[in-house]
Amino acid sequence: MKRFLSYLTILLLTASCTGTPKGAVPGTDPVIYPDYTNITVPSNIASPNFLIEDDANGYVTLFKSGDVQVRISGQKVCIPLRKWRKLTSQGDISVTIYEKKDNGWVMMKPFDINVGKEIDAYVTYRLIPPSFQTFGRLSINQRNLTNFKERVIYANSMAAADDGEQCINCHSFRNWHADRMQFHIRQLNGGTVYYMDGKLSKLNLKTDSTISAAVYPAWHPTHDYIAYSNNMTFQNIHTNNLERMEAFDDESDLVLYDIYKNAVSVIENKRDEYECHPYWTPDGQTLFYVSAHVDDPDWFFSVGGASVHNELLKYNLYCKSFNPQDKSWGETQLYYDAASVDSSITWPRISPDGTKLLACLSSHGIFPPYQSEADLVMFDLGNGSFRYVDEINSNRAESYHSWSSNGRWVIFSTRREDGTYTRIYLSYLKDDGYFTKPFPVPQKDPEFSRKFLYSFNVPEFSIDPIKVSARVISSFVNSTDPGSVSYEQKEGK
Amino acid sequence: MNQKEENKFSVITTKARWVLPVALWAVLSFCSGPFLAKVEERSFFQFDLFWFYDFLGQPAGLLSWCGLFFTQFLHLPWLGALIWVLLLTLTAELTRIVFRISSKYALLTYLPAAIFTGYNMSMGYLIYLVNHPGFFFAPVLGYLWALLSVVVLRRFTKPATSLILILIWGFAGYYIAGVYGLAGVIVSAVDTAFSDRSRMGRILPAAGAVAVFILAPILFLGSTTYCLSTAWTLGIPDSIHGISLARMQLPIVIALVLLALAPVSRIFGELSDKICLRIQIASIVVLLAIPAFSWYKDRNFKTELEMIQAVEELDWEKVPKLFDQLAQDHESDPSWQPTRIMVALKDLALIKTGQEGNLGFGFDDGSMQQNTDNKVQMSMQVGWILGFHYGIPGFCQRWIYEESMLFGWSNMTFKYSTMTALLFGNTELADKYLTMLDKTIFYRKWAREQRKLNRDRSLLATTAPYDLILPLLCYDDVVLADQEGCETFIKRHFGGPSPENSTPLYDRVALYFAIKSKDPTLFWTRFFLYLESNNPHKIDRYYQEAAYLYSSIQKNGLLEALPFDDQVKDLYNSFTESASKFGPMNMEEAKMKFPANLRHTFFYYYYYVNNIKLF
Repeated sequence: MKRFLSYLTILLLTASCTGTPKGAVPGTDPVIYPDYTNITVPSNIASPNFLIEDDANGYVTLFKSGDVQVRISGQKVCIPLRKWRKLTSQGDISVTIYEKKDNGWVMMKPFDINVGKEIDAYVTYRLIPPSFQTFGRLSINQRNLTNFKERVIYANSMAAADDGEQCINCHSFRNWHADRMQFHIRQLNGGTVYYMDGKLSKLNLKTDSTISAAVYPAWHPTHDYIAYSNNMTFQNIHTNNLERMEAFDDESDLVLYDIYKNAVSVIENKRDEYECHPYWTPDGQTLFYVSAHVDDPDWFFSVGGASVHNELLKYNLYCKSFNPQDKSWGETQLYYDAASVDSSITWPRISPDGTKLLACLSSHGIFPPYQSEADLVMFDLGNGSFRYVDEINSNRAESYHSWSSNGRWVIFSTRREDGTYTRIYLSYLKDDGYFTKPFPVPQKDPEFSRKFLYSFNVPEFSIDPIKVSARVISSFVNSTDPGSVSYEQKEGK
Repeated sequence: MNQKEENKFSVITTKARWVLPVALWAVLSFCSGPFLAKVEERSFFQFDLFWFYDFLGQPAGLLSWCGLFFTQFLHLPWLGALIWVLLLTLTAELTRIVFRISSKYALLTYLPAAIFTGYNMSMGYLIYLVNHPGFFFAPVLGYLWALLSVVVLRRFTKPATSLILILIWGFAGYYIAGVYGLAGVIVSAVDTAFSDRSRMGRILPAAGAVAVFILAPILFLGSTTYCLSTAWTLGIPDSIHGISLARMQLPIVIALVLLALAPVSRIFGELSDKICLRIQIASIVVLLAIPAFSWYKDRNFKTELEMIQAVEELDWEKVPKLFDQLAQDHESDPSWQPTRIMVALKDLALIKTGQEGNLGFGFDDGSMQQNTDNKVQMSMQVGWILGFHYGIPGFCQRWIYEESMLFGWSNMTFKYSTMTALLFGNTELADKYLTMLDKTIFYRKWAREQRKLNRDRSLLATTAPYDLILPLLCYDDVVLADQEGCETFIKRHFGGPSPENSTPLYDRVALYFAIKSKDPTLFWTRFFLYLESNNPHKIDRYYQEAAYLYSSIQKNGLLEALPFDDQVKDLYNSFTESASKFGPMNMEEAKMKFPANLRHTFFYYYYYVNNIKLF
């Protein structure tokens, strides 16, 4: 007991000490996981906890910022949130790791964690284990980025399991505010669920004149409209390829849902064009979307050659002017001809200031997460220039991405860690138009990503938290039949 | 009852109380090993805090975690069975002690144990559908929790204290053990009601138990993601859609009701010797009858499990032997057919040992339906096994992921995911899965061996099972739909265009699938590719038979050109002679009429093995 107490005393004294190991010799770059070396973090983000991967007998990590100094012992470096706040309040942080080797202490090369502008406090995503057909355990969760708290917005386990299954997807907010949110439920008790002005509603947006229920959404930034794609989606599996599967459309159109009229109208529905992924400019006067041309729309079913079909689908980027007052549309313009460079562009996302468009470029098709060559590209909407965002991209798939409300942060999905599990990374847009080194959203347990067997889908920022509980949503969703919508003829050209 | 008679009862009871568990352990260990091992394969337990906290997130999560902890020991069926029997004995003995049940009626306390055993051993194909981590042990552990509740709550006799404690213990119990936590406080309240207490001493605990029963599930609803309708059955095994909830939950509810009746037993007092004896005998009969009648005893199912286990052990020689043994046992039964899984695994094993050309049609074929109301897709049972061993890792991965989405991860899905990642050359992904297996007791060693391969992939070419899979990966990746089922998908894969750089092994497998398709055009294409790449010293028997049959039908001049064995020619002549003698008939009639040597020919397969339903 005495020995235990003396150890405890030494331990407590050591823990409270803020000094550094004496006589440490200089070493190499430290290897840490996740790689948070020389990154820029939002000033309000949770602490980027990490694991020191080098083999050593002891570890001390020293964080310095201004006159604040924090010392953490051990291989797992978990910085208490209060101390982390003190560090970030002082500006950029210098991190030095000391490793105790057999010959004594080694001071690894210090690295920096720079502190950038604030980020929207919340990010909402869907958690899904990798799968193809079944969806037994899905949930839409909201994470508070300023700490490690996460809550379930809705999980499909909340529906009565005996009656069937639910797929949930495509959550979306209007202008980064959670007081206007929507997501879809497929199959059991299906419909599009809206949370607007404190009220829940559920609609079936399929009409006799449209090919499917609503799929990919884009809230209009100034008026009560939502542009949607309608998709007839299929999927097939690769026999011998880590990319595993191909998801593809056999038909897709664009529609506009007028919330207050409760009516759907067609934006584009050419049979030989597969239109998808709508997104508005911040002024709400232009709609960007992607579309692939097919010479023979019936070819897929007649031949059944799913892989060939999908490989031939190359989506281009288009835009179309819109008058929100009378819902009239202008001419369609080709913005980027991806097909001409044997590529396919998807998920256009425009920065809040309207100057940049971030999109995903891959070899083919509409569903790039499974294509390892999928990368993010950025357009300058002022001069039309285009570049691969090499400072973000990896040799594995980068796909879904969204801008923060202040336009300084992007969050994007990537499979860079293992090619299978999608993780969400953040990156800061510098004044020169280039991004800083991307890093994974901090987790309480540094090894979280290695252990977690779900993928993160569709990360979307919001400034405020969703104000309705999962139980209330569940109770509503599973007890309410979806309302119908009317169909109105297209205005304008 | 005099001393002598009391001793007589005591002897019967004592003997039965020890003989029955030992007998149960022996039966489980020696007759149900593959079933117990399958339960373990389909579960996963690792010593990891992150994983543990995940279970703590939901009420009854801890119970599942404990259930999984014990399930891992079923890896060694004798050990798992021993733990199971010890837990059952513990529940019965504790019930007897806690409720002071006379040793004359002690056998009655084993009734829940019999129900739990019958429940588990009646599952059969349901083990592929049950969707509850730790389902095998969780009910017994929950039952123990309920008993513990009585022990703890009985200590507090003051009505107010008792009420407060019931509320605290009840809510905590629901969080720890779900419905068993609720059962614990209810049994405790019943126990109190039958003990010598004041009126308030009886009413308050009962009111507390009712409050817990109603409020605890509602209280936890806000912080959980389960469905409201399952809140009062949380902790009782569930299944994926289509299985009657009564089938899954009724036996356990009956066991809990029996537990609640234990305190009531006091009111019976002393019964006559005659009644006592009858109760003793009835108890033994019921204790034996419940497991005996509910035990799932389908030979095909058992053989499937044994064959799968042999595949897991890469004991390819054993797989067809198990099939053959079962077929011989049903030699005189024309209605018996193998299941498609048995046929598929037998074919796979013959291919792996290079015997498919000489033994492939030496077994009865068929597509017997599973003996269950709840059909299990073949892909859910062996989809990833076939996909992996036939060198279609994408298909293997597809079924692993569907499985893990529906039922959570298991030792098997981690194992096959690791091996698939190794085939794909994705070292990071293999490492991720190996990290999970590293933290298990029984797969740690395997994980260490695979880690060596992950560090040096050149070792794959000389390491089983990869050595027989890598040569099958010579084809160009394609994208296919697999809605038609597992076998059709594999058949279609090998029936596609021949790879430019096909290997001898690939050509052999493709030829075997071609011959099974009864498509002469496909056969000839594959046959000549096989001859070219394998350059066999002697053409395998069944390929000769197919070539001889098709040449005879097509009159293409190959009868003279190919070196057919005399035995093949003789068999063909005998077969045609018999066939013309017997006339047209269906598969069952043909099985009875043709002798085994003619039945096990390609000619017989071509003409009489029809109406096989592929899955």
